[in-house]
Amino acid sequence: MYDAGFTVEVVTGVPVVTAPEEIDITNADHLRVALLESAAHGTGTFVVDLTRTRFCDTAGLHALVGAHKRAQAEGGEVLLVMPGDAVLRIFAITGLDRVFRSFTNLEDALAQIPGAA
Amino acid sequence: MTTRLDQVSVEARLRAIQSITDAALSRLDDRELLAELLDRTRDILRADTAAALLLDFSSGQLIATAAAGLEEEVRQGVRIPVGRGFAGRIAAEHRPVILDRVDHTTVLNPILWSKGIKSMVGVPMVASGRVIGVLHVGSLLPRQFTSQDVELLQLAADRAAAAVQSMTAQADRTAVEALQRSLVPSALPAVDGAEMAARYVPGSGVVGGDWYDVFTLPSGELCVVMGDVAGSGLAAAVIMGRMRSVLRAYALETQDPAEVLRRLDRKIHHFEPEALATVLYAVLDPALDRMRICLAGHFPPVIALPGKPAGPAEVARGLMIGVDPAEPRQVTTVPIPPGALLCFYTDGLIERSGELIDDGLERLCRAVSAEFPEAACASVMGTLVGNEPARDDIALLVIRRRPGQAGSRVHSSSLLARDGR
Repeated sequence: MYDAGFTVEVVTGVPVVTAPEEIDITNADHLRVALLESAAHGTGTFVVDLTRTRFCDTAGLHALVGAHKRAQAEGGEVLLVMPGDAVLRIFAITGLDRVFRSFTNLEDALAQIPGAA
Repeated sequence: MTTRLDQVSVEARLRAIQSITDAALSRLDDRELLAELLDRTRDILRADTAAALLLDFSSGQLIATAAAGLEEEVRQGVRIPVGRGFAGRIAAEHRPVILDRVDHTTVLNPILWSKGIKSMVGVPMVASGRVIGVLHVGSLLPRQFTSQDVELLQLAADRAAAAVQSMTAQADRTAVEALQRSLVPSALPAVDGAEMAARYVPGSGVVGGDWYDVFTLPSGELCVVMGDVAGSGLAAAVIMGRMRSVLRAYALETQDPAEVLRRLDRKIHHFEPEALATVLYAVLDPALDRMRICLAGHFPPVIALPGKPAGPAEVARGLMIGVDPAEPRQVTTVPIPPGALLCFYTDGLIERSGELIDDGLERLCRAVSAEFPEAACASVMGTLVGNEPARDDIALLVIRRRPGQAGSRVHSSSLLARDGR
């Protein structure tokens, strides 16, 4: 049921990191590794799917912000999938909802990436 | 004859392994264990010197930390860059190296060849999958180190690596706790018309980067800071210490809370570009009848009026520190009627595994009332923390404006008024 891990899959040419229910200090390093792996792949733009995620602490946000900054420096970005309120609330309080572009489903996020096919 | 010899060597080998893995060693503290381990390693390998060099991650250099028969290496603070020389090669290639010739072409450290060491063998010290140092032994007589020697040395290196890791973790923990103690106010300031209480509980696992600060300004205003630096351990605590210091400096220089946070963001952007933090910065007027507050990704304070349910103060949101220094920041003015209680906190207080943030916030609001601050703190900690060890740091600061205070106007019901400065 609870999955502490992050998976990286390439969907229509775009790396997609799927996050577990909770991201906190105990698994933020795994997220960091998954993000680095995704960044190394192709265009520099990739997706983090937070559909299952209900909680993300500052350690998780730190990993995401770092990856987004690095992606932007190379002309890419990190797109988020956040359909639920739970994690969106955390992004709203921290102001990060205005830093990341987010989508309610993976298809919409992938549609934003030119060359994804 | 040969059989007899083999048996002797097998027994000697077993004794050697026992000597390294000896349970008695674990009764020593880590530093003594490292020294004792080097002595034993030198003896069982019949070598003349043994030394441990530990990797300093920030400089990428190996630093001589403990030695037997080669103490000058430690006393002179020998540093070897990873990738260069004998020890540097072992660390870079993660594998044992045997040297049959020791001179300036094979060994970087002149102490080794000038001392007359003829042969050497070294192995990496590995902890949690990464190289944290190098252990090597040397002989004054030329000799051929064998694969058995390498194996024994590796066993000692593994034991030493575990001791070093525990030593580092303990040193970090001690340093972080000392830092945190120095960063949280030892006593709350005495302010006319205000009553205060606070709680600070470091996380049970790794120590995080939460802090709070409360101090008066020369103007008579009362300044409140709550913060949470992303990350943990010594690195987070050091950044937290720097943030606390510069915020105090900016508080003296400028009256505008938004400008204080802008300066902090610029400073972090330039000097600590990897850092990320939530910060709350508020200034209460000397009469304590209003607060000017600016949030950088932090939760708003909870406010309770006498006899009324508590709720989060409506404060303009703002981006976390460490993302974009050009971010516009907005100050909200919150009126504080007599008897009102303000509750400032870090997210560790309201975050629980398997629970939504809003549920935690609601529980906090239910636990807060405009009572005596010590009682309010006790009630909040009792309700939200109870007997569970906190996963994350928790900081809580409660300030009440003394009830029935003369000489101040009672504001209308527009408690949550906003001012867009």
